[in-house]
Amino acid sequence: MIIGMLAFIGVFVSTYLTLYKFGYIGSLQCAVGSCETVNTSRWATFFGLPVAAWGLGFYVSALALVVVGIQERYADSRALSLALVALTGWGVLFSGWLTYLELFVIDAICIWCVTSAVIVLVMFAVSVAEYRETGDGRRETGSG
Amino acid sequence: MAKDRVEAGRGRRADVVKKSKSKSNTPFYVALAVIAVVGIGALAYFASRPKNVAKTVDPAAVVAGEPQGYLLGKPDAPVQVIEFADFECPACGQFATLAEPDIRKRLIEPGTISYRFYDYPLAMHKNTWQASNAAACADEQGKFWEMHDQLFNQQDRWNGQATSRPKSRFQEYAQAIGLDVDKWEACYDAQKYQPRIKANEQMAIKRGASQTPTFVIGNQMVGGAISFDRFKALVDSALVLAKSAPPAPNTSADTAKSTAVPAKGPGGQ
Repeated sequence: MIIGMLAFIGVFVSTYLTLYKFGYIGSLQCAVGSCETVNTSRWATFFGLPVAAWGLGFYVSALALVVVGIQERYADSRALSLALVALTGWGVLFSGWLTYLELFVIDAICIWCVTSAVIVLVMFAVSVAEYRETGDGRRETGSG
Repeated sequence: MAKDRVEAGRGRRADVVKKSKSKSNTPFYVALAVIAVVGIGALAYFASRPKNVAKTVDPAAVVAGEPQGYLLGKPDAPVQVIEFADFECPACGQFATLAEPDIRKRLIEPGTISYRFYDYPLAMHKNTWQASNAAACADEQGKFWEMHDQLFNQQDRWNGQATSRPKSRFQEYAQAIGLDVDKWEACYDAQKYQPRIKANEQMAIKRGASQTPTFVIGNQMVGGAISFDRFKALVDSALVLAKSAPPAPNTSADTAKSTAVPAKGPGGQ
């Protein structure tokens, strides 16, 4: 559930950046770093779509997995936990790559992007812990 | 015995899981609702702030006026050509810098064609509305085509990937082409010609332009950064048709409405 809440926060962060990218927000609120340098760089687009829009898709997918996972009929589904680990794991790799670009290629940091990277990292850590917990529970009960 | 214990344990585990899940869902949904309220509030606040630094346009909010193309050449030339283009689109830039100089020299100046440019700003290009705005304000001082050339020649300096504040670049171009910069700036800031740009965009959609640039040459519609040779071939076939058909209705020099093209292209309405 922590993952779900983080994903929902992520939805708003990525929506904000996506709206900026599509020109609906005049300038980014950026107390630390150079958000516009990062978000107007050529790295801010991935396969023709703003990176923020991909992030929005990622957060919505993670939130959907969590919401499905808390329904009673899927309460003991290990596959959903595994899917969440895989999704957030991919998110960590992607965010890691973006952070590398910010630090070493673009030479500018965007506080919103860093916020998103931290959210993804925590989501991944929690999803791994939850997945292991599910496995322990199963072993305890003796079923596979 | 051992099996009974396992079964009992399994049952207990399932109960615990089910109870804990159903019990704890409500706080989760409440937390989501709180995040939603805060998030939507924050987004609404950011979106409503004055956009004085990077002037952006909400294309959806603009009410369309009358479409108006920008004319080059004699309005009563035998072949009427329309271009639907986006100032920020790389293919339009490629066409404007590679093929268009020849077109002007060999087809427009001798009076073979009349050429009208209509804005077709695409949503994916962040600065294109501002560019159309800059060009329309240059038109107010009779220098649309000079601004058009500056915008396309230096597209990579002001496009959405280069900057989120293109106005200062446009201002340089306004100065370079000899506009009254204060007057131009007042027009630019007022976004006076947004209804016209919107109307031009709607006309492009209505005519079935599916890409930028799209050209209507006589009764042919063609898309993409075509070469001069291809362009000339289409003009030649339109010329043949024009000679065998009654003269096209004359169009006003200052406003080229959607009815200005004598025959509709295959993708047209």
